[in-house]
Amino acid sequence: MITDLLQITAGLYLAAGLAAWVGVALESSRSMRIAVAVLTAGAFVHGGAFVAFHLEKKPPPLTDLPAAVSWMALIAVIFLLVLLRRARLAALVGVVAPAAFVGVFFAALRLPHPDAAPLVGSASPLPHLHVLLASMGLAFLGVAGVAGGLFLLVDRGLKRHRRVRSRWPSLEALDRVNRVALAVGFLLLTLGVATGVLWVASASVRESTSKAHEIWSVLAWAVYAVLVAARFGGHQRGRRAAVAAVAGFAFLFFAVIGVSLLG
Amino acid sequence: MKVVLLGLNHRTAPVEVRERLAVAEPGPLLAKLVATEEIEEAVLISTCNRVEVVALTRRPEAAWLRLHSFFRHELGGDAAPAGEDGRALDDMLYDLHDANAMRHVLRVASSIDSMVVGESQILGQMKEAYRVAREAGACGAILTRLFDCAFATAKRVRRETRIAEGSVSVARVAVDLARQIFEDLPEKSVLLIGAGEMIEIALEALRQDGLAAVRVANRTRAHAMELAERFDASPHGLEEIPALLQRSDMVLSCIGGDAPILSVPMVRAALRERSSPLFVIDIGVPRNVDPAVNDLDGVYLYDLDDLAEAAAANAEERRRETVRAEAIVLEEQQRFDGWLAALEAVPTIRDLKSRAESIRAAEIKKAAGRLGLDEAQREGVEALTRAIVNKLLHVPVSRLRGQAEREQAFAQLEVARILFGLDDLPSDDDE
Repeated sequence: MITDLLQITAGLYLAAGLAAWVGVALESSRSMRIAVAVLTAGAFVHGGAFVAFHLEKKPPPLTDLPAAVSWMALIAVIFLLVLLRRARLAALVGVVAPAAFVGVFFAALRLPHPDAAPLVGSASPLPHLHVLLASMGLAFLGVAGVAGGLFLLVDRGLKRHRRVRSRWPSLEALDRVNRVALAVGFLLLTLGVATGVLWVASASVRESTSKAHEIWSVLAWAVYAVLVAARFGGHQRGRRAAVAAVAGFAFLFFAVIGVSLLG
Repeated sequence: MKVVLLGLNHRTAPVEVRERLAVAEPGPLLAKLVATEEIEEAVLISTCNRVEVVALTRRPEAAWLRLHSFFRHELGGDAAPAGEDGRALDDMLYDLHDANAMRHVLRVASSIDSMVVGESQILGQMKEAYRVAREAGACGAILTRLFDCAFATAKRVRRETRIAEGSVSVARVAVDLARQIFEDLPEKSVLLIGAGEMIEIALEALRQDGLAAVRVANRTRAHAMELAERFDASPHGLEEIPALLQRSDMVLSCIGGDAPILSVPMVRAALRERSSPLFVIDIGVPRNVDPAVNDLDGVYLYDLDDLAEAAAANAEERRRETVRAEAIVLEEQQRFDGWLAALEAVPTIRDLKSRAESIRAAEIKKAAGRLGLDEAQREGVEALTRAIVNKLLHVPVSRLRGQAEREQAFAQLEVARILFGLDDLPSDDDE
């Protein structure tokens, strides 16, 4: 059931991404509307899969990487759908939807994961809360990175006086997405790291957690704190803010996902 | 029934002639035109780029003469000046018939024939021309169908091609670029440097897009005040530019002078005090803005050549799209032609059925007297013969109604009339 729903979700996200790229290439608003509609349908099915997942396992093993990645994809998609109501950002579907497809497809291959060993201290809500908040933070920061990447693309086109596709979002909208996603994402990541620290601090689980994951997570948080300070304290904006968002997300992605996979 | 079209446009006649022939109120003229026996229906399309009459007639030659007379006398063509090369009005007029006339109407509505390919105004102007013709009682069922078909074709062309994509005027290209930078254009403020004609044209384009906050800075403050008063803007002197830059999102400059008005240090200083991007359009010759300004983060500088190049590229793209648009027009014109051909077949089908029925009735009458049929037998024979006639006529009637190519359909109708003697006087046997 969960696998089926995740497979349907992955299909819908892929279709939404393709429709968005067709819309950008042909400058067709109809394709863009289809992309948004398909993405919305995907989010509903994904939400259904998440609910089914929670009904099946108690407590849900969100600490399992596939589950966390799927949750991250859902949050990123929901955040994007909320943003779409406020600004001309449909082209972001072309990047977020394929990324969500990869995440959900990966999750569909691994979930449900009956062999996942129960975590030490899983009776406490802390590990669940840690993964929930940190994944949400990572999802928001992922959207900030995507917006930053697209900003650089449009900025480059405008600076070099090349024809910019009319369906690309405006620079101002992308910069705003970057700012909002960074602020909310950093807050959630901070809460995620804090709950993680509390969890690790409990003596019973100290032995079971990965040292590399702990170090890289705190390092990534510190790097992001610098970026946030530069953005909001140093009034960084435009191209520099976009580069920082892309680089920051790449670093964070490696710190959280890469280390988990390699570790 | 034939569709004919007589007219002139921006390619065949100079503006002096077009403005002389343009009609503000075509209703009375159309009513007069269709009151003559040569013209059954008519629509007059009068815009700044074309004056055309689309008419429906049973007598094309006579209609052609009548329409020429209409252009010369009613529209005042006789008083129009000759073209630069000494061409008379008749040399500027083009006349089109049937398929060509229909296709032309569809092309005009689809903006393929416009001076600026893909512009949207022409469709509204044609709808207005059609409405006026309807109100004047000059537009009947066939031209109504033709214009409905033209409007549907225009919609399809816009939907299925990119003929209307991309701006082709420098001012509109600037607005499009601004939309790539800013999310909510009407909320942005613009600083205009200069008070000349180019600035005025640009200002009009910006106002159309709802830009409300406009500041005009000029060397001569009185000129700035004059323009600002007309467009509800605030006037400033050039010395205020550094301060104004901090509060403006767009700068449009077109002012005389050899030294750049906007330098890199000036713009950099302004950027320190602002958080949003700055879009600078320099249409001055020589240029008013140091080109190195474009290298600053958050500043996008476009000069006249950049904008003209973008406009030309869009125009070329539209021209390429006309190939696809022409294919749609041809398809829709053939569909309309098929409908008209089927309509042409109606009298022939009616005559054919009537002829067959009169023969059948006459033969029944003769046979009934000879055979001494009672009422029931007579009804049986009636039904039998009616069924035979209907079956015999079914195939030819279907073929005549078919959506054949128009020329072929006319030939078929002609053959049917000859074969069945539909134009002969009824013989005694038929009675």
